[in-house]
Amino acid sequence: MFQLIRTKRHRELALVALFLVPSLAIFTLYRIVPLFWNLGLSFTEWSPFKPAKFAGLYHYEEMLFYDDVFWTALWNTVVFMASAPIAIALALAVAMLVNGDIRGRNVYRAIVFLSYPLMTVAVGIIWRWLFDGKVGLINYVLRGLGLTEKGISFLDSFEWAMASVVVAAIWQVIGFFMIILLTGLQSIPRNLHEAAAIDGAGAWQRFRRVTLPLLRPSIFLCLVIGIINSFTSFDLIYVMTGGGPANATELLITYVYRAGFVKNQFDYAAALTVALFVFFLGLTWIANRASGGDAGAVETGE
Amino acid sequence: MALKRVLAGATMALAVLAAGPVAAQKKISVLTWNIPVYEEKIKGWIADFKQIRPDITVEWIDKKGPELGPFYQTQSAAGTPPDIVNVQGALWLEYAANGALLDLGPYLAKEREVAGRFDPNFMKVWQFEGKQYLLPFYITKTLLFYNKEMFKEAGLSDPPKTFDEILSHAAKMTKGEKSGFLTANFDWLYWPLFAMNGVQLVTPDLKKAAFNTPAALDTLTKLAKATDSGAINKIAWTGRWVEPNGAFAAGTVGMLHIHAPAFFYVRGSGKWVNQDTLGVAAVPGGWSTPNSHALFISKASKEPDAAWEFLKLITSKKWAVTFGTTLNNLTGNIEADKEIMAHFKANDPLAARVLEVQMSNLDKITGNWPLARDSQVKEAFYTEIQNAVLGRKTPKEALDTAERNVNRVLSR
Repeated sequence: MFQLIRTKRHRELALVALFLVPSLAIFTLYRIVPLFWNLGLSFTEWSPFKPAKFAGLYHYEEMLFYDDVFWTALWNTVVFMASAPIAIALALAVAMLVNGDIRGRNVYRAIVFLSYPLMTVAVGIIWRWLFDGKVGLINYVLRGLGLTEKGISFLDSFEWAMASVVVAAIWQVIGFFMIILLTGLQSIPRNLHEAAAIDGAGAWQRFRRVTLPLLRPSIFLCLVIGIINSFTSFDLIYVMTGGGPANATELLITYVYRAGFVKNQFDYAAALTVALFVFFLGLTWIANRASGGDAGAVETGE
Repeated sequence: MALKRVLAGATMALAVLAAGPVAAQKKISVLTWNIPVYEEKIKGWIADFKQIRPDITVEWIDKKGPELGPFYQTQSAAGTPPDIVNVQGALWLEYAANGALLDLGPYLAKEREVAGRFDPNFMKVWQFEGKQYLLPFYITKTLLFYNKEMFKEAGLSDPPKTFDEILSHAAKMTKGEKSGFLTANFDWLYWPLFAMNGVQLVTPDLKKAAFNTPAALDTLTKLAKATDSGAINKIAWTGRWVEPNGAFAAGTVGMLHIHAPAFFYVRGSGKWVNQDTLGVAAVPGGWSTPNSHALFISKASKEPDAAWEFLKLITSKKWAVTFGTTLNNLTGNIEADKEIMAHFKANDPLAARVLEVQMSNLDKITGNWPLARDSQVKEAFYTEIQNAVLGRKTPKEALDTAERNVNRVLSR
């Protein structure tokens, strides 16, 4: 077949296309088609038992003007996302500690990293028990220190539920962020710190003027991962609180599940997914602008 | 020569493939709700069925509660729903409203003795718009368990007879880590607390919310105050099944309002539970919410007659008695339940007492409205109840919002 294509350039392009076809087909089948299918579904009234009926913008009207839970879930998603900088700051502190010349630093690194490979469901179960109002370790410590007389039901309280889930999420991801930041720290040439020290820069100035600017790509990567995590933290919420109490920890992603599989509103869940997609797209655009507008670009050297 | 052999082989293969569907045995599938422990007996169902219908193969699938609905719906969307399905609570209503279930009326009309097997009160639970879509499989409804030791410590002797007495009893037992009352909150199981105060959820035509009344406001205000004081344990409004049962089994809660199967969980994990320490009664007014299980046939079933045969078999007296005595339940099959009760009276008097209470006040069943959008109404209402009892909104605000949201769902 290749003999039929005359020029070398065309033959090369055909070969590239041939290699791309399987992955493009899979991508189209599992990404693009569901995306458009979902978009179509969001404009219909549909159940697994009936043919779809065109519903126009009904679900979007419902979502934007009548559904308080949607706005709560959107707000909670933003709050959850805002926890990423806290996780990064903590991870940076740990990374700097274990980057120093301390004995057994590899052991500390391993211990901090251990939380990351754990299954999120297991993390959720562990933290659910830690936060338990009666037998939880946290309440045991608080009572022991005389900070409270009666156990606090963290996960059942409007004041504490979201914060508790955020703590668990940070705990799980901190090890991973630490590794990324540690790699970044180790790639900073030592002589830059030495030169700054000779010029009279103190520890804080060296951190602000040398470490932080050179860590920017690693921090940006952590931020992107943190934002993605906040959109996909279904399992942690599902296990720890189920989105409760009274939607206090409901995220958009858990709400999509509940709309579809608890309330049997697949059409409405499709509309929620579109909203989630648009929100995520907006964030990606902001992140791209913040990184100079060419995040993900490949340098070809041409 | 070789080509000839290849052609001959291909022709034979095609012939076999073409004959396949004709020769293949017919099949029905049965989807059950979290009873893998019953596997041995289910094999017995299938073996018995083979005697009647040797031409039919039976496939058994079991799913845990939260997985069953999504599984059934995705299978339905794919056009291959299981033929017979065991459901709990009100999950089936949306399926029935969307035309996914087979009307069993014509079968029951032909075989009247099948309908006659069951208590009409339980048959009624599974009707939608005048049609019988399901047959009872096993029956449960809510009742009140109480810790007699905690009652004694608080100077109480009898279970409460009014709503206010529930709260005053609860307050008397509340001290330190101990709280007086817990209710289950899923599937409308808490509704008897409103029903005993004369609150109606919806108008008789099921078209509008009817609960935003002074009586509901008073009920909700009292529930919120009792929760705030600790007399009602917060788990009542946040826990699912394990948490309230676990708290009651720990011996630190005075009363537990939940459905009957909780008894076996509580007894299994609460060392204090015995005939002298555990009390069981109907709640004031005798109100209860059913949370029973039943069986339906999918309308898309390719073998509805075989599915009906299978349904008849597993709800027969023989298998109902086996089910009840193995898994400690009543079945709604009148004759079978007599035998099951006799079995428990002889072997397990405390369980017999629980089942007896469960069979009382069958005319006071509530919280089972035939609403096509039950799950959405439930969410719209309960979220606001949680907001009120956990102190995020005033009861008035919560009821107003709940009324608006429920009416929005009902108007669709």
